[in-house]
Amino acid sequence: MRTTPRLLFGLVLGLIIGLLFGWIIRPVEYVDTAPASLREDYRAEFILMIAEAYTQEEDLELARVRLASLGSQPPINFVIAAIDFAVEASFNQNDLQTMNRLAVDLRSMPASAEIDIP
Amino acid sequence: MNRARTLLTLLGVILGLAGGLVYSWILNPVEYTDTAPASLRQDFKEDYLSLIASAYMATGDLNRTRARLALLGVSASPEELSRLAQSRLAAGRPESEARALAQLAAVLGERPAPPMQSPSPSPERSTSSVSPTATVSPSPTIRPTSIPSPTPGAPFALLEQDPLCDPNLPASLIQVFVQDAAGEGVPGVQILVVWDNGQDRFYTGLKPELGVGYADFAMEQGTTYSLQLMEGESPVTGIVAEECVNDTGEAYPGSWLLIFQQPEVP
Repeated sequence: MRTTPRLLFGLVLGLIIGLLFGWIIRPVEYVDTAPASLREDYRAEFILMIAEAYTQEEDLELARVRLASLGSQPPINFVIAAIDFAVEASFNQNDLQTMNRLAVDLRSMPASAEIDIP
Repeated sequence: MNRARTLLTLLGVILGLAGGLVYSWILNPVEYTDTAPASLRQDFKEDYLSLIASAYMATGDLNRTRARLALLGVSASPEELSRLAQSRLAAGRPESEARALAQLAAVLGERPAPPMQSPSPSPERSTSSVSPTATVSPSPTIRPTSIPSPTPGAPFALLEQDPLCDPNLPASLIQVFVQDAAGEGVPGVQILVVWDNGQDRFYTGLKPELGVGYADFAMEQGTTYSLQLMEGESPVTGIVAEECVNDTGEAYPGSWLLIFQQPEVP
């Protein structure tokens, strides 16, 4: 008759120990992550750097390859999202123009272009 | 009776732990979101570092570059950047990346980092309402940097070529110094060296402790080399490690010193 409460008590205790272990004693450490998991502000900064490099290199394919590390969506989507964030976060005018230029050039490319990731 | 209770409790704990692990590892595993650049995998960190260098080439904004490096959490010593430049070049990455890394290595080697405030990914703020659908905007203003870079259209010319007998050198070297018209070292200049059965490319600025316009290449004895700056005039041919003699009369292979300079634009 007392089997169920004992088992339930043990279950709850086990869960508590598991949570203590997972959240406090040895919490998750983020290592070996990919650019796709970057926080929104870091992601915007990453895209800004790609756009800045693009102003110097004028290599749209290289910019697309770099953007591809953010995920499988079309590269233009990442840049537009970054511009939206940058506007909200009040990035300076130069930064916005730099990203805008990349967005405009990406938009002028055919959407079906293949990206070779090295 | 007590033993049975204890066993039941223990069974509950084990089931609870197992349930927690099944939930956290299989049913609802951790998804990495909202991570920082410092947590990136090593190869992504190298891509990120290279991107920082390429962005620096475009903007010349050293403070922002340092903030980005701090975010990435890497040492970014000139040696590390040099190693990365060579490895990416060997991996067939665009030359612009190696050049950018060389330039950044030169700048960081020349100007050690001041104490860094906690970095922010969006350091400058002002209002803006630029839309991605707008027409092409004017290029951003390139911020000035005191590190010179080669002027397009003005090829470097060989100014000096001297054999060098220095027993303290670690190997028989072709030492190259590339200067602008004012005599300042120029980093990021690509140099091609060719011999009978091979060729290699290297860049100035990868050893900033020896000068931002410095580069060297280790020769093998008995091999004849030709060297050309990619932004230079005709190649320098017939470079051979000549024999030198040290104080004790022992022979060792010598080096060459080549100085290139960009002519003054009238």
